[in-house]
Amino acid sequence: MFRSSINLAGALALAGPLSAIGKPIAFAGGTTVMAEYGAGTMIEAQIFYAPRYDLSVGGGHLELNSDETTKITNINYARLNYLVHRWNLDNAQANLFIWGGLGSATGNTFSGTVLAENAGGQADYETRRIYASLKTDLQRSSEFSYRIDTLQLGVAPYRHEYGGIATWFLVQARQYTGGIHSGTELALLLRLFKGGIWVEAGVTNGGKLQAMAMVNF
Amino acid sequence: MRVLPRVLISLLSLASAWAHAATIEMNVNGLVCAFCAQGIEKQLRKFPATADVVVSLEQKLVAVALKDGQDIPDSELRRALTNAGYTVKGIQRTETSLAVLRERLKQGKP
Repeated sequence: MFRSSINLAGALALAGPLSAIGKPIAFAGGTTVMAEYGAGTMIEAQIFYAPRYDLSVGGGHLELNSDETTKITNINYARLNYLVHRWNLDNAQANLFIWGGLGSATGNTFSGTVLAENAGGQADYETRRIYASLKTDLQRSSEFSYRIDTLQLGVAPYRHEYGGIATWFLVQARQYTGGIHSGTELALLLRLFKGGIWVEAGVTNGGKLQAMAMVNF
Repeated sequence: MRVLPRVLISLLSLASAWAHAATIEMNVNGLVCAFCAQGIEKQLRKFPATADVVVSLEQKLVAVALKDGQDIPDSELRRALTNAGYTVKGIQRTETSLAVLRERLKQGKP
């Protein structure tokens, strides 16, 4: 409990200049820079530029550290994100995204550099008071296959207005394949955003820090 | 105390009429987060005729103040918002200045 509190305090301390991601495409003409620390098992950084509201291109770095073995995998990738469909409703918005890309990977369970393929998708629904998203991300090569599935459910204590601070409380459930983590990892998160800055941080059921940050400009 | 906001709105309205400030108000669907507003504002500020932009998530409203003697055709506004990823439900042109509109929105009025 004490360790969890320290991790949560650390997560909240990160909520200063950093920020986190909800969608792989923010807006047309926008650049998105994102960083995520996933409870010690995954660290990811991404940068995307969206020439259109339904398309973004960019790249990222993903480090996966197994908490079951000493296996470490590092992947650098180029990726294209596509908004398959957006539903603009009276008081809500829903989106379906897919993405794919290629990269190179190194690791301590194989020698040299191998070609890595990446594919994934996300479905989300949000109003100004509730948020839900389901995301799946696959990284595979001749040496490994990892899939990270993430479900987020959130509620806002108030309806934020443009220019003000938005506050969300979220529950996150995440599963890994490929021997990264067994079982479902749960996390309680606090999400704050204002303008183009988004910060999300919290603690997992294992007492570890989960944090994401994003800047859109 | 309730008189003060009314007086303020009246004064702002007078100033608005004097300046002949034209404003375009658009009702937009899908407007639920600050990122939506940020993208829309960025698109609308690209028009040379745009003097200022106001976005209200609560009222699902996007308003553009036009520079004196300038205009933006409805078709271009619709295209800009569609290209930003949103659905325009309606477009109205008013003589209300953005200062008045901001005050109205602050009071929670549509």
